Parts: sequence; structure tokens; C-alpha cells
Amino acid sequence: MGSKRVPRVGIGGPVGSGKTMLIEQIVPILSAKGYKMSIISNDVISKEDAERMRQNLATDKGLMPEEMVIGVATGGCPHTAVREDPSINLSVVEELESKYPFLDLILIESGGDNITTTFSPALADYFIYIIDVTGGDKYPRKRGLGIENCDLLVINKIDIAPYVGADLKIMERDAKIVRTSKPTVFVNSKTAQGVNAVVSFIIKDVLFDALPKMSKQVN
Amino acid sequence: MIFMNIEMDTNDVSILQMSDSFFPTGLYATSSGLEALSQVKKVKRKDIFQFITMQLAQVIGPSDCTAMGYAHESYKKKDIVSLLHADESLYYMKLIEETRIASTRSGNQLLKCVSTFARNQKMLKEYQIAITRGKATGVYAVSFGAVTSSLNIPKNKAGMMLMYGFAVSIVGAAMRLGILQHFEGQKIIHELRPVILVTVLENIDRPISNMWQFAPILDILQMKHEALGSKMFIT
Repeated sequence: MGSKRVPRVGIGGPVGSGKTMLIEQIVPILSAKGYKMSIISNDVISKEDAERMRQNLATDKGLMPEEMVIGVATGGCPHTAVREDPSINLSVVEELESKYPFLDLILIESGGDNITTTFSPALADYFIYIIDVTGGDKYPRKRGLGIENCDLLVINKIDIAPYVGADLKIMERDAKIVRTSKPTVFVNSKTAQGVNAVVSFIIKDVLFDALPKMSKQVN
Repeated sequence: MIFMNIEMDTNDVSILQMSDSFFPTGLYATSSGLEALSQVKKVKRKDIFQFITMQLAQVIGPSDCTAMGYAHESYKKKDIVSLLHADESLYYMKLIEETRIASTRSGNQLLKCVSTFARNQKMLKEYQIAITRGKATGVYAVSFGAVTSSLNIPKNKAGMMLMYGFAVSIVGAAMRLGILQHFEGQKIIHELRPVILVTVLENIDRPISNMWQFAPILDILQMKHEALGSKMFIT
């Protein structure tokens, strides 16, 4: 109560699609621009993702204090935790907003789930859904709430598309049909190929091109 | 008379709404120590009824149910000091850090949710302000007592709702852990009816100074559970 709402990006997608690695690529780019972030990682069965991001982004790279990477257990219900009953996530978000009013952005990673994942609008202002090419180029055409409703669709692992018989042009065409005017970005999160485009969408559509809060205070 | 009956009926609907596992409180993410027991292979299908009965008798009944009853009365009397006393007493009785945190997070969201539709909410606001100022925590059972009182749900029924919700959350956890199948879960909930009733009757009017809980083995297991790298549930 009383603290100002910090913009929130929800990142969802199937197990192994690259949600954690996308965050590991996004955060350094936004940090270099001066934005301060916190990460909430929803676990399905382990703390591995949260611990990996804490080690990589906080401990090793010093991009944020370690306590700003928070793991949340979801009782085996990853979709419930970000949609029907986001109580625990909302509590963590509100605690962060109250403790760290200088934050520019909160990234919320859902637990790995299926293609019906969406985020409650009460929890996330912007929803990125990430899939990868290993499911085949039929993936966008098969639709699903995540693919259809997300603000930004990210298709990952494009480097291995030729090896799994996935045609990126078909995926692009079908994503346009299914998502009408909403954007799709192709990335290789291992090498950061395409990640700058994701960051640009976040800055434009979530932060509305606002300068980092800390830079405003300095100025 | 007709209006009184309508009022009674709407209160009954409130009871159904707040007892529904669809009501957003985050309790689905807790197993109350069952996952800890499951991981060390100390619990089987036949043990679930006894596990819930033990939790109700040794932990939730004499602590949460008592605090809930006291909070419900305090709210009814518009006594914010007593409500905050219940909050503090219950919070410090919870030995497991993750249980304390989960309970306060659920309680705070419960208060926020009910504040969007309850009519009699002046003291709910006062309670939330106290939480914001660090004078209270919003621990779940006390928040539950406050919101059920604000909705004119009778205290004993509120007690049964709280115990029922707790029992259902453990049965749900047991199913997700693969210990029970769905018919078995419903049979256990059915068989728990007298246990829930007795738990409420024994504890809801207990003086808050006599509140207690005692389940040391479970406490130790849950403390170990907090440190596990691989787990589905908060507690």
C-alpha cells in the first residue's frame, strides 16, 4: 500500500524453451543502459533457475544485489501462480516495490508450462511468450493462449532450425496470421542474436522510453 | 423478514466463496510439511488422514484456530488493539521462517482481495495500514478472522472454513505429490468432518494467552525442507 507500481514483464513458455537464458541476456543490456531490475523466478520443482540467475547476474556480474533475484515455489501449479491465483507473486512484487522504489522494472519468469500459459494483468503489464524451434515449425500455427495473447512472441534457438527441420519463414508467416499485428522476434539466446530487439520492445512498450529512475535523480 | 432471509442467504454464499479453493490466497503452494515427509519416504497413503488430524490437533487448532477466533471477536468489537495482539501472538508462534512468510503473504492478499468488495471494512483498512507501517504482519489466520467478521460470517463457521481450507490444501498437496488419487482425497475430506468440528469447538474460544502448538519432529523436518534445492512447495 502506498508504494508506486513498478512496471512488470511476465515471461512464460514451455520447459526448456529458454526463459531463463533470455532473462540472462536481457538484464545485462538493460543494466548497461542504467535500468535497475529485480527478477522473480517461479519454480516448478527446483530452485535451479533462480540460483543460476543469482549466481550469474548478481554474484558474478554484479548487476543487482543477490536478494533481488527471488525464487517462488508454486506447488506444482505454475500457471495458477501467474494467472488464476497470483497471490504469492503479487506479495513478492509489492514487497520489492516497497523496499526498492528505485526499481525500473520487475521481470517475472513463470515456471515451465504448456501453450495455454498467460499472465494475470494484475501481475504483469507486458507478457512475453517464448517457444523454440525444436517443437517444429507448426508451433505458431497450432495457436494456444500464450502464442495468441502475448504482447511479444519470441522464437528461440533459431541456430538449430535446419537440424530439426523447422522452416523459420513458415513460423514467421503463421505467427503473423495468428497474432495479426502483434510482434514476433526470432532469437538465439545462446549468442544473444536478436535479443536487442526484445530489449527495444521492453523499453518502448513497457518503459515508454523513460530514462532510468536513478539517472533522473542524478540529473 | 424477507430481507433478513436474503441477508442470511448472501452470507451463506460468502461462506461458499471463501471456502472455495478457487479463492486466491496462494495456499495451493504449501504442503504444511507433507513434502518434507514425502521426500524422506516417511509418509504413505494410509498416513494422510492421521497427518492432517495431527496437524489440526497439535498445530493449526490450538494456534491458528484460536488466533482466528480472537481476531474475529476483536473485529466484531471494533477493537484494533486486540486484533493486532492476535496478529503478533500468532506470527511469533510460527517457528518455520518459510511458513511465517507464506502465511503473511497469503493473509495480505486475502485482505486486499476482500477489501475490494466487503462493505464493513473500516477496520480492514486500519489493519492494512498497521501492516504497511510495520505494526502488524497480516498473518493468514488473523486476516481470515478479520475478513470473515467483516462479511458477517459467524465465528464458528469461519473456524470450520479455516480448518477445512487447511485440510483441503494438504489433500491437494498429497495428490500432486502422487501419494493419493482423487477419490481417496475426497474420502479423507469426508472423514475429517468430525475432526474439523471438534478442533473448532476445542480451540476457537481458547484464551489467546493459552495458544500453543507442539510438533517438534515436523518442525525440524520443515526446517530441513526450507534448504532443499528440489521441491514443489513453499513449506
